[in-house]
Amino acid sequence: MTTCPRCDSTEAQMVAESPVKGAWTVYSCPVCFYTWRSTEDEKFTDPAKYEPAFKVRQEDIPNATVVPAIAQRIK
Amino acid sequence: MAYKDFRDFLDTLKKEGQILTIEDEVMPEPDLGSAGRAINNVSDKSPALLFTNIHGYNNAKVAMNVIGSWPNHALMMGLPKNTPVKEQFFEFARRWDNYPVPVERMDSAPFQEVVVNEDVNLFDILPLFRLNQYDGGFYIDKACVISRDPSDPDNFGKQNVGIYRIQVKGKDSLGIQPVPQHDIAIHFRLAEERGENLPVALAIGCEPVITTMAGAPIGYDQSEYEMAGAIQGEPYKVFTLPGTNLDVPWGAEVILEGEILAGVREFEGPFGEFTGHYSGGRRMPEIRIKRVYHRKNPIFEHLYIGMPWTETDYMVGVNTCVPIYQQLKEAFPNEIVAVNAMYTHGLVAIVSTKKRYGGFAKAVGMRTLTTPHGLGYCKLVIVVDETVDPFNLPQVMWALSTKMHPAHDVIILPDMSVMPLDPGANPPGITHKMILDATTPVAPETRGHYSQPLDSPVATEKWEKIFQDLLKN
Repeated sequence: MTTCPRCDSTEAQMVAESPVKGAWTVYSCPVCFYTWRSTEDEKFTDPAKYEPAFKVRQEDIPNATVVPAIAQRIK
Repeated sequence: MAYKDFRDFLDTLKKEGQILTIEDEVMPEPDLGSAGRAINNVSDKSPALLFTNIHGYNNAKVAMNVIGSWPNHALMMGLPKNTPVKEQFFEFARRWDNYPVPVERMDSAPFQEVVVNEDVNLFDILPLFRLNQYDGGFYIDKACVISRDPSDPDNFGKQNVGIYRIQVKGKDSLGIQPVPQHDIAIHFRLAEERGENLPVALAIGCEPVITTMAGAPIGYDQSEYEMAGAIQGEPYKVFTLPGTNLDVPWGAEVILEGEILAGVREFEGPFGEFTGHYSGGRRMPEIRIKRVYHRKNPIFEHLYIGMPWTETDYMVGVNTCVPIYQQLKEAFPNEIVAVNAMYTHGLVAIVSTKKRYGGFAKAVGMRTLTTPHGLGYCKLVIVVDETVDPFNLPQVMWALSTKMHPAHDVIILPDMSVMPLDPGANPPGITHKMILDATTPVAPETRGHYSQPLDSPVATEKWEKIFQDLLKN
């Protein structure tokens, strides 16, 4: 588990390691689905340095616009 | 002529000097996205890019900008690479009339070389990367997505092949953007109404004709495969994915097989879009991938998208102009000359037309707004005379500057529909639209002093030929 640079959840997990050993690791956040690689600039990997305008507040996620609307079930 | 598969087209690009192979090591971020942006900044004749040495990968290959220039678009159609855009438009329209060309069904496909049936991890299979810096993740943005109409599953024409933005959100899960205007949104709604998941296949690394048709706004019950056959001049090869009723492009590098989950919406984005703005984050449907097929050492095809012009604009340029042209010709067969709807996917469209009487050009502008593509785009329609080439912007500017009278020729229609990604729309999906009539007034409109148009000196055409011959060498 690691901290998501975008929504600050602490549930992000490693999803891949580089085929060439030790080159990089990819992490993904199951809360806001942000995905990043360890070799990216720290402004994309460090929660304190992620661009504030693009930060995601966890409490806003359930209220995000739904596209397309969920279709009503027709029996 | 037809390209057998993606690699066959890359070979042609190589022979024509239209692909740049980059063997030096590059970083997945920021190099791949930056290079995809930069190649469109430097020229409109730019080559495709093939990266063969990506940091951390052993044998990964990433291809970008494959039809990201007019020469490459011409080669897609099997035309000489220096074919002018206007000629590409008319040739595309001519071949369009040969629809439908029945498909050729194949018994096996090259992508069956490797099959992954369990523990799918897309991050291991594909060299994924972030394109624009504040994209919410790694995207697959040039895959042909195939689905069937659940209410009419045996109808081949209603089977859809479309390109949608797809975020890789987990090892085997993807987010997809089916906006309501898209055919796949109709399929998904019908499945969701039944409480069923929608089976889909994603084909990555296809020859460029099916990719071009997948990005074209053709009719709901028209087959992209049968239109691809018309455009390439011979039957399109498809393969039915085992255990499904999904027909996929036979030559694909990679096939992802899965389902869009009924009733599920998860956070997706933002993603840098063709409008030159990020889309914002929204809750959109999820795909669960259960099986992957791929060639050994597959080539991962990706596309840079952002502020025009990018590969996207070359890809959806002519294939957007032609259906609008065909639909306008259905209404006005003797008047419509050509349509240029290549600006930000047709948010701006230019129509060249003859006039039957005063006010006619304004009616052509109105009809443009009500074409299927016009409903979601065509925020500004400029109508010009039949003598003005709509692909020649200096001529269009001349028409606007001399033929248009702001008191008579500007029509603003309030609160019309537009696709929600238009950053100026308010609320999203609603915008005013405008028609600018830049045609010469004809009776009963008699305003202005247009009776003495200037024509070229009589021997101009002869001299054009002389100069063309002299400048060839």
